[in-house]
Amino acid sequence: MFLHVPGSESFASQTPDHDGLRTEIGEKVGLHTVTDEQVAALDPLTYEVIRHRLWSITDDMGSTLRRMSGSHMVTEANDFDFTINDEVGREAQVGLYNTMLVGAIDMAIDWILRNRADNPGIADGDMFLCNDPWVGGGLHQNDVLITQPIFVGDELFGWTAAVCHEPDLGGPNPGSGSTSADDVFGESLPTPPVRVVHGFEIQRDVADVWVRRSRVPHIVGLDLRAKVGANLTGRRRLLDTIEKYGADTVKAVMRRMMDDAEKRLRDKLHAVPDGTWSAEGYQDQAKLGDTGTHRISVTMSKANDHLTFDFTGTDPQTGVINCTFGGLRGAIMMAVLPTLASDIPWSAGGIMRCFDIVSEPGTINNATFPAAISRAPVGPAWLTGTLITQCLSAMLGTAEEPPGPVNAACCGTWEGLSVAGLDERDGAGTPFLYSAMDPMAGGFGAAPDADGVDTGGLLCIPMGRSPDVEMTEYLYPVLSLWRKELPDSGGPGRHRGGVSAGLALTPHGTSAQMRIGFAASGKATSQNPGLSGGYPGSTGYDGVVRGTRLEQLLAAGRLPTELDQLGGDLDPGGCFDVKFIGPGDVVYLQWQGGGGYGDPLLRVPESVAEDVLNGHVTPQAASAIYGVVLDDDGEADLGATAELRERLRAERVGRDRTTRKPESRPETQIGKPLDDNLDRLPDDTIACRHCATALGSAGEPLTVELIEAPPAAAGPHIGTNPELYIDAQVGFRQHVCPGCGVALRSTVGPLSASSVLHAVGAQNAG
Amino acid sequence: MSFVIGVDVGGTFTDAVAAGSDGRVVSAKAPSTPPDYSGGIIEALTLLAKQWNLTLPELLADTAKFSHGTTSSLNALVMRKVPPVGYLTTAGHRDALYIMNVEGRYLGRPQHELQDPLRQRKPEPLVPRRLAREIVERIDSAGRIVVALDEVRARRAIRELRDAGVSAFAISLLWAFRNPLHERRLKELIDEEAPGAYVALSSEVSPRIREFARAATTVMSSQIGPGLRDYLGRLETRLTELGLRVPLLVMQSSGGAVTATEAPATAITTVGSVLTGGVVGALRLARQTGRRNVIATDVGGTTFLVGLIVDGEPVRTTSTIINQHPVNVPSLQVHAIGSGGGALAWVDQGGHLRVGPLSAQAVPGPACYGHGGLEPTVTDANLVLGILPERGLLGGRRPLSRELAEKAIAERVGRPLGLGTLEAAAAIHAVQNAQTADLLRKVVVESGHDPQDFSVFAFGGAGPAHCAAYAADLGAREVVVPLGGAAAGFSAFGLAGADIMVSAERSDPQPCPMDPGRVAAIFDDLERDVRSRLARQGEALEEQELRREIDLRYSLQLSEVTTPLAAGPVTTASLEDCLTEFERLYQRMHGENTGFRQAGMFAVTFRVHGVGRTPQQLRLPDIGTADSELAASARRPVCLDGTDPIETDVYDYRLLRAGHRINGPAIVEVDTTTVVVPATARGEVDALGNLVMTFG
Repeated sequence: MFLHVPGSESFASQTPDHDGLRTEIGEKVGLHTVTDEQVAALDPLTYEVIRHRLWSITDDMGSTLRRMSGSHMVTEANDFDFTINDEVGREAQVGLYNTMLVGAIDMAIDWILRNRADNPGIADGDMFLCNDPWVGGGLHQNDVLITQPIFVGDELFGWTAAVCHEPDLGGPNPGSGSTSADDVFGESLPTPPVRVVHGFEIQRDVADVWVRRSRVPHIVGLDLRAKVGANLTGRRRLLDTIEKYGADTVKAVMRRMMDDAEKRLRDKLHAVPDGTWSAEGYQDQAKLGDTGTHRISVTMSKANDHLTFDFTGTDPQTGVINCTFGGLRGAIMMAVLPTLASDIPWSAGGIMRCFDIVSEPGTINNATFPAAISRAPVGPAWLTGTLITQCLSAMLGTAEEPPGPVNAACCGTWEGLSVAGLDERDGAGTPFLYSAMDPMAGGFGAAPDADGVDTGGLLCIPMGRSPDVEMTEYLYPVLSLWRKELPDSGGPGRHRGGVSAGLALTPHGTSAQMRIGFAASGKATSQNPGLSGGYPGSTGYDGVVRGTRLEQLLAAGRLPTELDQLGGDLDPGGCFDVKFIGPGDVVYLQWQGGGGYGDPLLRVPESVAEDVLNGHVTPQAASAIYGVVLDDDGEADLGATAELRERLRAERVGRDRTTRKPESRPETQIGKPLDDNLDRLPDDTIACRHCATALGSAGEPLTVELIEAPPAAAGPHIGTNPELYIDAQVGFRQHVCPGCGVALRSTVGPLSASSVLHAVGAQNAG
Repeated sequence: MSFVIGVDVGGTFTDAVAAGSDGRVVSAKAPSTPPDYSGGIIEALTLLAKQWNLTLPELLADTAKFSHGTTSSLNALVMRKVPPVGYLTTAGHRDALYIMNVEGRYLGRPQHELQDPLRQRKPEPLVPRRLAREIVERIDSAGRIVVALDEVRARRAIRELRDAGVSAFAISLLWAFRNPLHERRLKELIDEEAPGAYVALSSEVSPRIREFARAATTVMSSQIGPGLRDYLGRLETRLTELGLRVPLLVMQSSGGAVTATEAPATAITTVGSVLTGGVVGALRLARQTGRRNVIATDVGGTTFLVGLIVDGEPVRTTSTIINQHPVNVPSLQVHAIGSGGGALAWVDQGGHLRVGPLSAQAVPGPACYGHGGLEPTVTDANLVLGILPERGLLGGRRPLSRELAEKAIAERVGRPLGLGTLEAAAAIHAVQNAQTADLLRKVVVESGHDPQDFSVFAFGGAGPAHCAAYAADLGAREVVVPLGGAAAGFSAFGLAGADIMVSAERSDPQPCPMDPGRVAAIFDDLERDVRSRLARQGEALEEQELRREIDLRYSLQLSEVTTPLAAGPVTTASLEDCLTEFERLYQRMHGENTGFRQAGMFAVTFRVHGVGRTPQQLRLPDIGTADSELAASARRPVCLDGTDPIETDVYDYRLLRAGHRINGPAIVEVDTTTVVVPATARGEVDALGNLVMTFG
């Protein structure tokens, strides 16, 4: 239950209404604008020269920020971004780092214009700081925006903005996250826009108020300067450009960049069939002690050149797994930019015009004040982005020549591990706290023509980076027993999802208890689904091992590299959990791989053999999931493999043998491909692409076999004990072609979810 | 007479320069002869000897210094034509080489690929997993042994790899730079189990914290080490047989040379030798002409390389990227900022003109080459504009087809944009110039400097047609096109003049203030190492200079700033001066008051560069003073500003003498390039024959 806080509405930004804004503040601040005629009159040469320069300026801002920041999340994980915006805040060019932030920055500028224009005013030499996710600028309180108005004469020409993740901004827990807060008052306090720079000087009073709240004021102070520096870099370069080409010309280019991005995105949407796609996913546990599972639903409709994202059916806000409307927009941008805009300039202001949002306030991905939101980016926003990526991939997959990448889901959450204790290596004993950045190495999802990238990273931070073990061991009193890629963690499929990795740490250089915080949803239900019958990637799994034989092993010259070599008992961590360990104990963490694409029984057997050789797939999974029989040399035995695969497909349809072979489709029966397995024939029949069995009609539920089994049936990479985390019954569900037994959809989720399979008109995206 | 010889072995051509003690400089060019490049080298040397009316043995017998840069190691790495190596690392951490800190997916990829993460791929693994073995041993961050080396299992792993046919071993253990005991013992085991195998230890190749880059560096060094050893051994033997009496020197990424016998042990240091030749040549020229700040631009058909000289010293870096892997190697910083003359012009889906980043490859090349290229390039635009002569390049040896260039531009750019062919060509030329200026500005500004304090040097075949425009847009003080004695082999000239340089480094991360005793001990070690290696160079070194550096950073920053530390006793005061200098450098890069000492400072890596100067110092000869006005050798219509073509003077560079003035618009034709002097520029030939252009 959340109590409504009267007065909080004035901080709740919605999709910016630029025309309304102009009317509202036109008298208070002179806005620099250009006419449509000026935009149309740009010559190709001038446009390209200035466009390139604006890109170069944005890039400079990013380099400045990255070099100057002292925050691990920025320097090691690239959790930051930056933009150049027009006079009303529309983003003309954005950086390539945390793409979710892009969805929130323009909201904050809009809010500043509406609420700061007359008091304290918006003037040349000012910068505003904001970490209020309801206002915008970031997804949770750790995302801190500094934005700067740029004036040409008396007129407001535009804005630059820089956001980065700060390591700690106060609140009850180190790192400012909370796994147990009832609401935002149990987290770090949001700060609406304050004027931190005035007359080009950092205002010492404001800066002091700002850093005072933090457990690491020096780093927050350094980052404040980094963001001020990035904005100043942007300002200087932008004004140089304006001086050379004139404000009107530069603004016309900014307008056309956004128009161009919009037009090109619309052209792409035009090129794919209209339709509706839906997906749903879950947050396991809402907070410490909760055993529920909480749904996010999205139905995406594409009509002509426009998208609508409808989140109706999403559960009410609860626990600590909520995000604001800015988080929801960020989730959409995280999905849209890499799938639909990979070859379109990231003039996000134009891209955002191509979609509408339908969402009910008070739900977990559109939470109202005072919901707890510190986990917004890593929980609800991320999952929302993953689900939208699934819908977009399914949509693109129905085009004969997809105008963007079709890709199964990538690692679906941040596997949070925080470690706190006393570093005794200096003799004195110094408290330390850190968040492991290693889970950056998530698996990427597979595509119709390629496996997912192993330990490829995280889609929401495309340029994320995991640290070197030596850096971690230098900074903190731990010894890394292993950090390695995990076999079978990539979702099985015709193309395999990228594998993830896992690590084990033991205290080293400290005799005190260490506080271990775990925070990650997605341990019971899958947040990294496959596509077209591909399986989800691995679920997360964490815990601590106490009573190990580690000390004896090390003394005896042995170095354990597997959990079962440690001895002792593994105490699994909940989705949100705190454990304490001492010397000789071990903390273990493994994160999510990428989803697979297509039925694993259709994977080229030689590729499976190679995966086994490289340790990406175990021999057990090669046989049970991929149906590949390896000979003594580790080569695929093609004859035996064909037999085994036929048997496995027959088992799926509950018979001794299948009625049709996957390759038995007559040449004449070819329709339009809907995905890896389904064709739409001219008479709207949906048929199996492999064996031509008719499965139903477009728009109606398909008639297929449905297998329901315990989660373990999905493979060794799926957690076998969902009851450790949630009450709901979880299972592996597979929709199968009744003719040839090829898997059409393979999911791990609550069995209470709908089991109906649609192909067209509300196609299940995954 | 005695000679200084520089040889630059590129993928296609081998350039050689010989400078005589009489001040004359001659150059020669011969096709490279992979896989054994010595054929091309001997050929180029023979051509040099002829120009002095000597036989090759006579030339070599009188050679006082012979310096050589090779691209073969870099090519082998980039093309992945390297022999199998075995990789040994600490148990539990083999996968560092495959996880690649995630950044292996995007490191070093061009900008347009960065926003397409779902199509990015990691490169092929540096070592296949079957040749990577985990060794039971563990050392901690303090250098203490946690688990002793399991020699029995290590021997077994070594034998397995030996039997699998590896030709070299790379060993990179966690914290080996802190305590190299286990790595050294493993080398002994390899010497016993696989005698004669090449072995690279991370504690010797790259004793720097961060295991992934250190391992990648060590593996790459072991991949090219044996090949380099064989190649240099053969070449030196051959040259000695032919009469060479001095040691063969090999250029390194650092811009200094080492003897061929020393180079293979840390083979990776030679990997950028050809890239840096141009910067070293620019440095020679800058010093001889008294210029302190230079942006050196080297533009070829497919590459655009940029190096910086600041306050008379080249800007250095401590690492580079090869095949999406970070590589620790002290280098002159060379930025590859885009494509050269082959940059493709195209119209994107939004109907906008774009130039680059894709570039026509050497084959088929620009449309005007007539080898089947259909897409217009910057070179095609330059031909249509009249900048390039219709009779072709290289004095007519490479004919160009204006018709094909016009067709490509009209079809692919002009028509879609509604522009005439000439207008479209002018737009391509202008966009290329402006983008170049943007990218150059980034390089200069990011290193903390202001372009208006710099001279731009432009060399390479495709630079001088654009340099005046991009230098003016950049706001540089002047632009210099080297047209004197070394015009044809600028990079080889740089190699010829290179000093001897050896470097040693080691990470010892520590918070500041540093302990002077601990720091002094590190520098004692490093300096002893550097001095003994300098002594092994077998050259009579006229003077030696040792320079100390510390890589410093604030708090948890990712990037460190390399900061000089004064020679002499290491004291609390000298270390404090070093920190002050760090803050000065930091603020120059990031702006005033951006430093923030309260966040804490860390020292990470300590380094010593030893430079030995050989007695033979290279100077470019004077070209002779003009005794008459320079006469145009031709006139042709050229379009430089998007308006109608105007009749423009064309000059032959061979006639240029000191004091000649060329006012724009004008064209200067050189065998290997074409120089544009725009209407807004004034050109003057200096004493060495360089064309110096200023604006406004």
